[in-house]
Amino acid sequence: MRVHFFIVLLLVLSARQFPTAHAQVLVNPTADQLIQIVRSQPAVNISAPVSATASFDPPLVQPGEKAVYRVTFNATAISVSWPEKLPLPAPLKCHLSASGQAMQSVAGSYQMCATFDYEVRAAEAGQFTVPAFPVEVYGQPVVVPAAQLEVKTDLPEPHTKARQLLIESSATNVFVGEVFNASVRLLSSPGGAVEGLSEVQLNGDSFVVDKNSVRQSIQMIGGNGRNGAAFIYDTSVTPIASGPLKLSAQGFTSGNQFGGQIVISGQVTIPGGPPSMLLLDSEPVTINVRPLPTESILPGFTGVVGRYRSDPASLATNVLKVGEPVLLTVVIRGEKNLGRINPPPPPRVPGWQVFPAVRGAIVPGLGTTNPGASFQFNLIPLTTDPRATPAIPFSCFDPALGKYVDLSIAPMPISVLAGDVLTNADLALMLSENTAEPEAKISLSKLAPTPGWTAGSLVPLQMRGWFPLVQLLPALGFCGLWWWDRRRRFLEQHPEIIRRRLARRALRREMRSLELAAQNGNAAGFVGCGISALQIATAPHYPATPRALVCGDVLQILTTTECAGRDGETVRRFFAVADAAAFATAAGTQTSLLAEKSALKEILLKLEARL
Amino acid sequence: MKTHLRNFLVLLLALMASGQISFGAGETHFSAGLAAYEAGQFEQSAQAFRDSLTNQTAAGTLRNLGLAEWRSGHAGAAVLVWEQAAWLNPFDHAARSNLAYVVEMTQINLPDLSWFEETSTWLPANSWTWIAGGSLWLAVALVTLPGFFRWRKAGWHQTVAALALGVFLLCLAPFVGLVTRSNLAIVTAKDTALRLTPTQAAEEMVSLPLGEAVRQLRQHGDYCFVHTQNGDGWIDRRQLSFLCPR
Repeated sequence: MRVHFFIVLLLVLSARQFPTAHAQVLVNPTADQLIQIVRSQPAVNISAPVSATASFDPPLVQPGEKAVYRVTFNATAISVSWPEKLPLPAPLKCHLSASGQAMQSVAGSYQMCATFDYEVRAAEAGQFTVPAFPVEVYGQPVVVPAAQLEVKTDLPEPHTKARQLLIESSATNVFVGEVFNASVRLLSSPGGAVEGLSEVQLNGDSFVVDKNSVRQSIQMIGGNGRNGAAFIYDTSVTPIASGPLKLSAQGFTSGNQFGGQIVISGQVTIPGGPPSMLLLDSEPVTINVRPLPTESILPGFTGVVGRYRSDPASLATNVLKVGEPVLLTVVIRGEKNLGRINPPPPPRVPGWQVFPAVRGAIVPGLGTTNPGASFQFNLIPLTTDPRATPAIPFSCFDPALGKYVDLSIAPMPISVLAGDVLTNADLALMLSENTAEPEAKISLSKLAPTPGWTAGSLVPLQMRGWFPLVQLLPALGFCGLWWWDRRRRFLEQHPEIIRRRLARRALRREMRSLELAAQNGNAAGFVGCGISALQIATAPHYPATPRALVCGDVLQILTTTECAGRDGETVRRFFAVADAAAFATAAGTQTSLLAEKSALKEILLKLEARL
Repeated sequence: MKTHLRNFLVLLLALMASGQISFGAGETHFSAGLAAYEAGQFEQSAQAFRDSLTNQTAAGTLRNLGLAEWRSGHAGAAVLVWEQAAWLNPFDHAARSNLAYVVEMTQINLPDLSWFEETSTWLPANSWTWIAGGSLWLAVALVTLPGFFRWRKAGWHQTVAALALGVFLLCLAPFVGLVTRSNLAIVTAKDTALRLTPTQAAEEMVSLPLGEAVRQLRQHGDYCFVHTQNGDGWIDRRQLSFLCPR
């Protein structure tokens, strides 16, 4: 079918690609009528055996050139358990570029068609075969047939390239929330035939695509190395996150079947016959999305981004009565996205009760004036005091200017007459509603300028290994104090223990002095130390001061046998010599006692054992 | 002796210097994160804040990391670090406000805290431990030390001991709450499934969104049995991030 158009022609094609609603308008249809409508639709064939096809597009490429490995099933995409990794030969590098499903007409019924597209590039020349491999579809194994790709370095130019979509955006440097147009294009085949696209989808994180603003057309365009006709799918896209974001498109070729309205201009050739539903995709474009500035935000900003201006507000009447509502109409004019403008929040003003704005119809533009979105506020004066309507703060961010623009609704002069008398309860309720603090709008915080409070770890102290040990330290300290106190009280009850301990300590000291005096031949020192040692070892038994003890006291500590034997004799001799030395000149006798060192030591050891 | 003292001083100075260098590096990464965030480079900003956290765990850094993660589209990671910021500094209302914002935007569920866990959020996590430990040992000291050291028992000894014991008993609830709160985790992996049994092939009961809070009840291999507001079930441990790293 070849169609010639010499002027721009608007051709409205009904959506006949898919079954449409019944032409007859049914008001409150009955169950039977609904069943009849369902039965009148062509059947969807889901009982046909599932098969798969696999191919490379194109099958012959140069090294590094893009080819598309396309696998198609006559099944729904969700039923296919698609493997994460394909059994591709090593020199082939691939990644999943698109996947989707569409419905195609086959022999009077509809059939689902699921396609997986891989972008494949070969690093070197050669003939590469993707072997047949099984895939589970509806729980049953289905074999994907083998496909072959030939890579040659000496291909003539021009040669067949992989068929793909083109995507163009009206802007590549936008702000968050700024609407821009994205145009998806399918160029005509080398023979000049133009195909339509169905199931067009824009892929990319953090974009909102406006399906209501889709425009389809077939136009003559230049580009991609040649001039020709192309199917163009235009829509509006809004980024909702900042950063460099990638946007790509995919869609199924649908031959001469166009869904919805389409404008055809120029001389085009539309192919006849059933379409071949090929899933095509585009190279991504990068949209650099900037965040809205956080400084100098004007009051009443509700996230509106674009070039807008507000008309002067119109009031239903400027003579009001207390308690009677009046309608304030506001029109915000702009080119794009009018249906998504959030109206300003109602202000809280003493003397007024203001209800949230109600969205009105889109006001058409006149001449050079843009269309506008209208909003209506219901205002109720609560007293006769107001002389003007409350100002309603509103602002938007103008991406062209890069700053916030004030669109506030200015006050309008009014006169308020005393109306019906309100009860005190009514008035109090209305005033309290109006003067109550507005609910705080939740938003993300600003950046913390400093790191703030720090901690070694987020693990609680009591769950760390050292914590019980640290708690053990004061416990041990208190246990030590308790033991010390208990011991002290015991010693207070038994002072002889202390005396004996001190005596033992002093006795050892004296014995060391005794030993030293004997070694030096110091007879006087030897005798003095011996006497002192005997007194120290005996004193705790009385108890008494050691120096106060005499020979008899020492002998009383010895046993009767010891006292009568050599030990007693030795003690007597020491005390006698010491007394003689103290009261007469008997140095020679002292010297003779040096020979008694071992006997004295033996006595002292016995006395020490009795301490 | 002098040599030992000198060595000790040198070691002390070296330790202090290394600490200063570490904190200095943390500050540098923090500043780099701020600059990248202001420039709209949120991925780089998040990385810089993460680097800063390796040197110094700080509430402000966690809050900023959460903002960068949120702007980068990582809702789960954002919720996790904001919860950690609130754990570290409960007086930082910005982190709580950010969590409320995320809840409103994504309709996820934040942790459902019991009363004793709620009380543990009133003060920084480790404060409760210090207060409980300090008050307990103060009470013990005031009761025992006068006896040990034969001080005259004064009325204020018993008053302060009773007060300290009271504080200790009051701190027990948040003390336990902290331990149980450490079992809270956030879903940080996409397509996290709540499974009927702890196996990969187990039936999926429900899919949990990023940022959803769960409470670990027990563990079996790589799977945690968790309580969520969508029911109880098993989750692969690698899909969770605990508020207190384990």
